[in-house]
Amino acid sequence: MNGQQEFENRLVKVRQAMREKGLQTLLVFDSGRHNFLRMNYVAYLTDFISVGPETMLVVPLEDEPVLFLAPAWDIPRAREESFVQTIKSFKELWPRLPNISGKIGLIGREAMHVDLHDEVARSLKQTPANAKDIIENMARCKTPFELERLRRAAAIADAGVSALHEDARPGLKEYELAAIVEHRMRSLGAEDNFGMVVANSHNQALHPATDRVVQPGDIIIGEITPCIGGLFVQICRTVVLGEPAPVVRQKYAILEKAMGLGMEAAQTGALASAVAVAINGAFVEAGYEKYCRPPFMRVRGHGLGCGSFAPGSLEDENKTRLEEGMTFIIHPNQYLPETGYLTLGDTVVMTATRAESLMKSSWELYVKN
Amino acid sequence: MIFSRHSVLKRGCSTWDKQQMPEEEYQGRLEVVRQQMDQQGLDALVIYGDNYSFADLCYLTNYFPKVRGGIAVVPRTGAISLLLNIGSRDVPFAKTLTWIEDVRASNQVGADGAKLLKEKGFEKARLGLVDSGQGFPLPQWEEMKSALPQVTWQSLHSLLQPIRLRKTARELAAMGAAGRLLREICQDAASVIKPGRKEYEIVADIDRLARNKGAEDIRILAGEKRLNPPSFKQAASIGSHWSVYFAVQHERYWAEAGRTYFLANDMKVQGAYGKAKEIVAAMAQQLKPNGAVAAIDETARKALGEFYATAAVYGIANGIGLNQWEAPFLSEGDAREVRASFVGATTLNEGMTLALRVTIESQGKIVLFGDSFQVTAGAGKLLMEG
Repeated sequence: MNGQQEFENRLVKVRQAMREKGLQTLLVFDSGRHNFLRMNYVAYLTDFISVGPETMLVVPLEDEPVLFLAPAWDIPRAREESFVQTIKSFKELWPRLPNISGKIGLIGREAMHVDLHDEVARSLKQTPANAKDIIENMARCKTPFELERLRRAAAIADAGVSALHEDARPGLKEYELAAIVEHRMRSLGAEDNFGMVVANSHNQALHPATDRVVQPGDIIIGEITPCIGGLFVQICRTVVLGEPAPVVRQKYAILEKAMGLGMEAAQTGALASAVAVAINGAFVEAGYEKYCRPPFMRVRGHGLGCGSFAPGSLEDENKTRLEEGMTFIIHPNQYLPETGYLTLGDTVVMTATRAESLMKSSWELYVKN
Repeated sequence: MIFSRHSVLKRGCSTWDKQQMPEEEYQGRLEVVRQQMDQQGLDALVIYGDNYSFADLCYLTNYFPKVRGGIAVVPRTGAISLLLNIGSRDVPFAKTLTWIEDVRASNQVGADGAKLLKEKGFEKARLGLVDSGQGFPLPQWEEMKSALPQVTWQSLHSLLQPIRLRKTARELAAMGAAGRLLREICQDAASVIKPGRKEYEIVADIDRLARNKGAEDIRILAGEKRLNPPSFKQAASIGSHWSVYFAVQHERYWAEAGRTYFLANDMKVQGAYGKAKEIVAAMAQQLKPNGAVAAIDETARKALGEFYATAAVYGIANGIGLNQWEAPFLSEGDAREVRASFVGATTLNEGMTLALRVTIESQGKIVLFGDSFQVTAGAGKLLMEG
């Protein structure tokens, strides 16, 4: 399916939902504060990722949508990249708002500042209804168009891991180590990266890189998350510089087992919590029950935003059912007292029956001698 | 104003150089802010910051959010608390970036912020809200406000902006370091901008140059016809010239530059670039104490002539420091574009820092030249030479 068709389909679905909710107009806002645990609703409906602080898509029930954005110099890019025909400067939104009548919905309220929200409500002479579920519901399961981008991002993530395998070495500063991965992925077209790659003999947690010099024997942990077309894919892997102590292999094997159990539990129709339960089971069986909570881990996986964040975080309380087409990361990342924090995880797509990894990198602990 | 694609995570080198920016610097800043609080009759300030706009939060704490946001609660007396939208496992790392001892994790900053304010005895207080980047997410703000019905709130988003206008010696040293780092990137970039290469491949190389030098963040926009953020869609090979906007964050402070690199002779475009450089130099001559901020714009307007209107769309000048775009702004329009409430200053003072840029669009091509400067008695001094 080409992009034009994809975005026309999305617009048709949005309008259907607007009719069901009795909305005459939908306002869709983005603040340019991109967050990989949240959707970018404007990008979802336009394929345009903003750089400025104010972007509003106005979708009337009958007329053509109009994209208003700042800065004005970015309008030509929006014309080229988006599937919206009419694009105007954000300033031109203000005279238009008072002319909008009927019930109005707003998506992107959580990215709005109170002052802007109040200004919009004053101009509309009504407080628009929060309508984010319109897009949240229709975006939960990825389309073939999105999966194509996600697979491209997955290949880039695998390439990032390979770069780490090839070029990691003692003597580099931690930020240079992270830059190796970043560079490989950007060279292949990655637009952004929620990327943390750190090294220590005993890592407490993942964090952005510091200037620490990587030492022989260090355990390198990475959470690598490239973005293509606004869609993120994540991979988590562990590398050891030099032959690791037996305890590292032994404890990493628990993560591999947990990963396998998590994948098995991720059956289409199962609850998201089942994945967390299965992963926690591996750690409980190994005697680490008390480590199955923060600060020793966070969640056992999660949706990846800018596209849909569904099914949310993989944790015991999440009763969301896994549906065909959902994509998310399963990661039994875990702090263990003997080894420190270890990482392993793949982004998966739910098929008709079960989770399938999008990644090709081996789960094995990579030992670089 | 030139905006660039904001990353989901500030993932560059994240350290605190305590030699360059010791705790006593923050104590001095805190004293000044508390004097303002006294004048306003405030019991405490709530300062919001996120990884997009962290200047005010960082100014007092040295902390800059890596992802999402958080608040600092600054009482008129007593210790500051930081409540950050991070996991509890991230708190030890967060503490390496700040002198604040009370650092807390939260995934609901609004609700937990209200609890923190109650814990500190502020449930009936007069509180100032500082959110100059206008990033405090509406639902979080509503949660905080509704949980504290007896608090009197005062919006003071600009409270710290006049204080931050003139940089201290340590700040200027930090900005000089950022400028020098940027100078190296601008120079080294020339060796990777080659015919036949895809735009995103070159961006990857420039990005690495910055990250390998310890940049906290790097923003790049580039193109022959217009400035584009990195995208898999920008896969064309570059042509006869390439204009690049660079902004680098190092130890919290930003420096900005614009350069155009030529791959083939094009007298017309090269001439435009020469003109852009001359105009920036002329604008820099205006950066003297007691000079009018408006004189920068007037200089550009006269020199650019018919090209002024399009150059102004990209912004001619703005303050730079802990924020990529801060006071002084050339106009209310420029200030509004970043949702700042006022221009900040109409007269220049020693220690102010500004980014100057000239963008010329002609016959479907774009050239860009710009640099970051410090206001000194002898005119603008390049941060790159700082």
